Amino acid sequence: MTQETLKPQEKKALIELLYQLADDDFLLAFRGSEWLGLAPHIEEDVAFSSISQDMMGHANLYYNLLEILGEGEADRIAHLRSPNQFRNAIILEEVNGPGTYLKEPDYDWAFTVVRNYFYAVHKHIRLDSLRHSSYEPLAEAARKIMTEQYYHLMHWEIWFKQLMTSTDEATLRMTAAIQKVWKDFGGVLTLGPYYEDIVKANFIDDENVMKKRWNNKIEAVLKEVGASYPGEPRMERGNGRNGVHTEDLKQATSTLSEVYATNPATGW
Amino acid sequence: MNESTNEFYNVYEVFSKKTDKSPFQHSFSLLAPNADMALIMAKENFFRRETVADIWVVKRENIRGLNQDEREMLKRLDKQYRETKGYGYLKKKWRDYNQEQFTEQHILGGRGDNS
Amino acid sequence: MTVGMSFNQLSEDEKMTHFLDRINAGEKIEPDDWMPEDYRLQLIRLISMHGISEIMGALPEKEWVPKAPSLHRKLAIMAKVQDEMGHGQLLLRVAEDLMAPLGKNRHDIMEDLFSGKLKFHNVFHMDAPTWGDAGIIAWLVDGAAIISQSMMLDSSYGPYARALKRICAEEVFHAQHGESIILAMAEGTPEQREMLQDSLNRWWESLIMFFGPKSAKETGNSNADKNIMYKIRTKTNEDLRQEFFTKYIPRIWSLGLTIPDDTIRFDEDSQMWIYKDADWSKFKQIVSGNGPQSQNRLDLRRRSYKNNEWVRAALAAKKAI
Ligand SMILES: [Fe+2]
Ligand SMILES: [Fe+2]
Repeated sequence: MTQETLKPQEKKALIELLYQLADDDFLLAFRGSEWLGLAPHIEEDVAFSSISQDMMGHANLYYNLLEILGEGEADRIAHLRSPNQFRNAIILEEVNGPGTYLKEPDYDWAFTVVRNYFYAVHKHIRLDSLRHSSYEPLAEAARKIMTEQYYHLMHWEIWFKQLMTSTDEATLRMTAAIQKVWKDFGGVLTLGPYYEDIVKANFIDDENVMKKRWNNKIEAVLKEVGASYPGEPRMERGNGRNGVHTEDLKQATSTLSEVYATNPATGW
Repeated sequence: MNESTNEFYNVYEVFSKKTDKSPFQHSFSLLAPNADMALIMAKENFFRRETVADIWVVKRENIRGLNQDEREMLKRLDKQYRETKGYGYLKKKWRDYNQEQFTEQHILGGRGDNS
Repeated sequence: MTVGMSFNQLSEDEKMTHFLDRINAGEKIEPDDWMPEDYRLQLIRLISMHGISEIMGALPEKEWVPKAPSLHRKLAIMAKVQDEMGHGQLLLRVAEDLMAPLGKNRHDIMEDLFSGKLKFHNVFHMDAPTWGDAGIIAWLVDGAAIISQSMMLDSSYGPYARALKRICAEEVFHAQHGESIILAMAEGTPEQREMLQDSLNRWWESLIMFFGPKSAKETGNSNADKNIMYKIRTKTNEDLRQEFFTKYIPRIWSLGLTIPDDTIRFDEDSQMWIYKDADWSKFKQIVSGNGPQSQNRLDLRRRSYKNNEWVRAALAAKKAI
C-alpha cells in the first residue's frame, strides 16, 4: 500500500498507529534525555544518551510519515499538540522519579532499567512485525529503525539481568520497579480503539499475537533471573491510545515546547 | 561502602577493528564493573561516530606490557641478511642475463601490497 | 643518551636529565615511564580539572536539551552534551591512571569535587537562562575551549595528547552546532536577536576569564609557566586570549552584535587587542564555588552520585552470570 492507494478508513487507522509509534518513542526518549549527566557512572551516561538520541530519531521518522499524510509539519506535530492528542502509553510519560531534571532529581535507576528493558523487548517485537507492514513507507522505516534496536535491547538486557542477580538491595529495588511498571505496561501492548482497522489493513500483526510474544519472552527472562511472573500486565491508569494521560504528560509537553511555542513560525 | 577500593571501577582496555580486513587496534580505556558492561559502554563511548566491525574489551590487569627498562630489549642492530635491502645486487646480476629483477608484485603473483 | 639496561640504577638527577632530554626531543611520556613527581602532580592538577570541567560543563547546556526548539535541535544538542560527558570520560581516565600510584581512583575525584578541593572551569558556574545561552556556549565557550585544547594536542604526555585528539575531532561538530544556532537567531526575529545579544552580554566577562589571568602576578602561581617548561602546553594565557579575539571578534561584529566593552580595539602598533580586563577577584570567588550556579550544579552531581550508589555497589558485588 502507498499513500495514494489508502482508503479513508485505512488512512485514519494508519495515522492512529503512527501517532502511537512516534509518541511512544518520543516520550521515552524525552525521559531518557532528562537523565543526561545524572546516570550511575560516566560511561553509562554516554551510552544511555545514544539510546535516547536514537529513539528521538525514530520518533522523528514517524512524525515525518505523518507529515506526508497531511498531519502538518513534524515539528508542529511534536511540539504543539495538546496532551489529549498524544497516543503514547501512560507508563512511558511517567517521570523518572521525584524532583525535576533541573532541581533535586531523585531519579530511580531501577525504574528506568525495567521500563526501558520491557519497552525494548516490545519495540523489537513490534518492529519485527512492522518490517512486513502493508504500508511500504512504514515497513521501510521499521527496517531502518531495527538496525539500531539490537543495541538498545542488548544494553537494557545486560542491565536488567545484572541488577536482578546482584545484591539484595538491588533485587528489592528492581522487584519494586517491576511491580510499578507492571501496573501500566498493558498500555504499551495495546493498539487502541482503531485496533481492528489497523490489523485488518495489515499495517501490523494482531496485538494479541505480539502480546503473547512479549509475555513469553519476559516470563522466560524473569525465570532465568529467579523472579516470578506477575501475570498479564495491566492498564490501571487508563489507555494512552485513547488520549487518556496523566499530569506527567502535561509537564513533559510544556517542557518540550517551551522555546518552540514562543514562535513556531520563525526559524530556530 | 568504600568506593575507593571496590570492584566497580575496573579498567578495561578497548580494541576495535575498522573493517573485517583490518587488524585490531587499541582505542582507549574505560571503567566498568565487568566485561559485559564494558562492551556495551565501549560501543557508544568510542564508536558513536566511526563505524567498526568488531570490538574487544580486555581487563587491564590481564595485559602484560613492558616497563621502561624492559623496552630496551626492543632495540637491535641492522640485519641485512633478512631484509630485501640486503639483496640489492641481484638487480645487476639479472641484467647480465637480459632479465628484469622481479618486483615484490611479481614475486607475489600480482597480489602485492597495492590490492 | 647513555641509558643501558640499568635505568633504575641512575641517580635522581640523571633520571631528570634523561626525562627532560626525552621531552625536548619531542618524545611522548607514557603512564608507566619514570617522571618527576612534580610533572605527575602538574598533570593530575591540569587534567582532572579539565576532565571534571567537561562533566560539570554538560550541566548548563543540558538545561536546554529537552527544551531545544525543534526535533533537529533537540537531537543535536543532546549529541553535543553527550560528547562533553564523553570528553570527561576520556580525560578522567587519563587523570585516574596518573593517580593510581597515589592510591586514588574516580571515586576520589568525585569526592574532591564535592568537597570543593577539585575546582571546575569558571564558565560552568554561570547562569544559562535562555536558549540564546545554549547558542553562545556552543559557539564561543566551545570556541575558546578549542583554542586552548588544540594548543595541547602535542602535549608531552602521550595519553593526554591522544585524548585531546579525539576531543578536538568532536569539537569541530560543536563549533558548527553553535554557529548554526546563533546564525538562525541572528537572522531571525527582533526578539531572537535581542535574546542573542543578551546572552553575549552575559557571557563576555566569563569568556575573558576563560583563559585565566595574564601572568603569575595576578594569581601568585606559575602553573602555566611550569607547564610550558614541561611541554604540556605551549602558549601563555594571554596568547590564547588574543588568539580568541582575533578569531571571533570580527565574526561577532559582522553579525551586527555589540561586544559589551566599548574600549575593545585592535592596536596596530603592538598587534594586540586592547580590552577591559576581567575582575579577577570575582573570578577567584566564582571558581571557589561562589558563582551563581556553583552550588546548584554541584548539588545535581552530588545527588545523582549518591542516589546511584546502590547501583555501583550492586555491580561491584556481582560475579558475571
Ligand atoms: Fe568538550
Ligand atoms: Fe565541546
